[in-house]
Amino acid sequence: MLEELNYLIEPLYETLFLTFVPLILAVILGALIGTIIFISGDNGILDVEEKSFLKTVHVVFDALVNIFRSVPYLILLIWLLPITRFLVGSTIGTNAAVPSLTLSATPFFARMVVIAFTEVDKGTIEASKALGAGTLDIIFKVLIPESLPALISSIAVTAINLVSYSTMAGAIGAGGLGFEAYQYGLIRQDPPRMLMATGIIIVIVFIIQIVGDVLSKYVDKR
Amino acid sequence: MIELKNVCKTYHSKDQEIKAVENVSLTIKDHEIFGIVGYSGAGKSTLIRLINGLEKVDAGEIIIDGEDICKLSERNLRQKRQEIAMIFQHFNLLWSRTVLENIAFPLEIAKVHKEERLAKAREMAIQVGLEDKLNVYPSSLSGGQKQRVAIARALVLNPKILLCDEATSALDPKTTEDILDLLKAINRKYHLTIVMITHQMETVQKICHRLAVMKEGKVVESDTVDNIFTSPSHPVTKELIQTVDTGVDVIKLAKELKNKYPDGHLLRVTFDNENSEKPILFEVAKKVDVPINIVSANIKNTQAGALGVMYIHIEERQDIAMLLEELNKNDVVVEVV
Ligand SMILES: Nc1ncnc2c1ncn2[C@@H]1O[C@H](COP(=O)(O)OP(=O)(O)O)[C@@H](O)[C@H]1O
Ligand SMILES: [Mg+2]
Repeated sequence: MLEELNYLIEPLYETLFLTFVPLILAVILGALIGTIIFISGDNGILDVEEKSFLKTVHVVFDALVNIFRSVPYLILLIWLLPITRFLVGSTIGTNAAVPSLTLSATPFFARMVVIAFTEVDKGTIEASKALGAGTLDIIFKVLIPESLPALISSIAVTAINLVSYSTMAGAIGAGGLGFEAYQYGLIRQDPPRMLMATGIIIVIVFIIQIVGDVLSKYVDKR
Repeated sequence: MIELKNVCKTYHSKDQEIKAVENVSLTIKDHEIFGIVGYSGAGKSTLIRLINGLEKVDAGEIIIDGEDICKLSERNLRQKRQEIAMIFQHFNLLWSRTVLENIAFPLEIAKVHKEERLAKAREMAIQVGLEDKLNVYPSSLSGGQKQRVAIARALVLNPKILLCDEATSALDPKTTEDILDLLKAINRKYHLTIVMITHQMETVQKICHRLAVMKEGKVVESDTVDNIFTSPSHPVTKELIQTVDTGVDVIKLAKELKNKYPDGHLLRVTFDNENSEKPILFEVAKKVDVPINIVSANIKNTQAGALGVMYIHIEERQDIAMLLEELNKNDVVVEVV
């Protein structure tokens, strides 16, 4: 019985790879971009003379995030083919899906970071400044810890988005459970195999959501 | 010593300019508790935030111990802020940190070694009476306890100045009393200069040595607490003192009376020493033939003479124009509520 499921191991591995590798990259890049957008905004965290430079940075990053967030994933995938060839040496296969998946998840996560930071109490930020905190202190000792529950939830949502987008990466031969379901369900008319693959996707999504919720609650001391 | 010289701060919003602080000059001496009072919107918070550079002045100088803080670079200003601590109305603690970690926060910023900072924070927690709450999170504390954490956090770097922005305004009267006692004790023990902002004259009366009264961005009166309470000169000061003497908040009282007497005319009549001796109100009422109903009255005798506020209610159908005119003729301050 179990041996019959062996065929699912490869696609499962591909799905996990296509979810978590871009997730890690997107969380790092998104946090960086989100932080830049937030602190360059009009909240007095950065005390610089050059207000106009700050404003330009804010507007440019904000616009980039909005643009890339609204491009459909499949289009992004195609746009990115030349860069992908340069980065991973090929435009097909599992690795080739990583740049486009990362690029689609990064602006999404960046936006979530901005929202999470915006919800941090302004009074707390002001108090920290009054106690001598600099910009880095505010980012690492105030913004991130105080918005941690929201950040964790955002990581979970981003991961779930990636599970879903990875299905489309099947178009460039990235494999994965989604592609498995599509191939066996639609093309080969094999419903049990399709249902099995779909079921595993659902389980993965549930696990991510539950782990996210539990962790988020655990760090929330409000 | 903190010297403010002709300090101005204007905010520009879309369609208007708000002169939050206008040409304020004050001297706050070392080791004193200095109160700044005024109604909401008077510019008190803006003024106090100029003192630690959270806001930048448009004009004027703020000299702290001989150094104009308006001329400091950001880096030096941050350094300077370690000598100027601050507490707030809503405490502004970090909910993600325990009491001990909150108190240790400024030490962490000042890059003090971990063991040393925890030891200092613990010592400070004991000072403010929180030794049994070290490892709990702020969310499980009462308002008074939260303010104690904030005070400990503010004092842990041994600052020279403590700025308090409505530090007791969110607390009940009993807790307010406790916190004020604590601040008083701290002032004595650490020889700290305390600048205390509040809209409650009572708070000032309890702990301040000197005070300034603000209205619309300007300091309208500034003197020792004794002098101001015995002979207030500005109408705002008189009104604020009235609140203390009667134990009622003038604004709140007016609102309550308005609810109680929704119809008709509700007037607030303010007497001062010149006219409180004579039965002006009754003479005028008789003269213009308007029946009046006194719904609330408080007259207080100070060294400078009687001072009082009276609320009178008049039926809807009566014409009050004549009455107002006559009262004004007699130099009685009267306002329609
Ligand atoms: N950041 C700001 N931007 C625009 N207007 C402000 C700002 N801060 C305060 N004000 C205005 O300045 C005036 C004084 O405010 P504030 O100093 O907070 O008064 P208070 O603390 O006495 O209640 C108010 O009219 C307020 O609306
Ligand atoms: Mg205020």
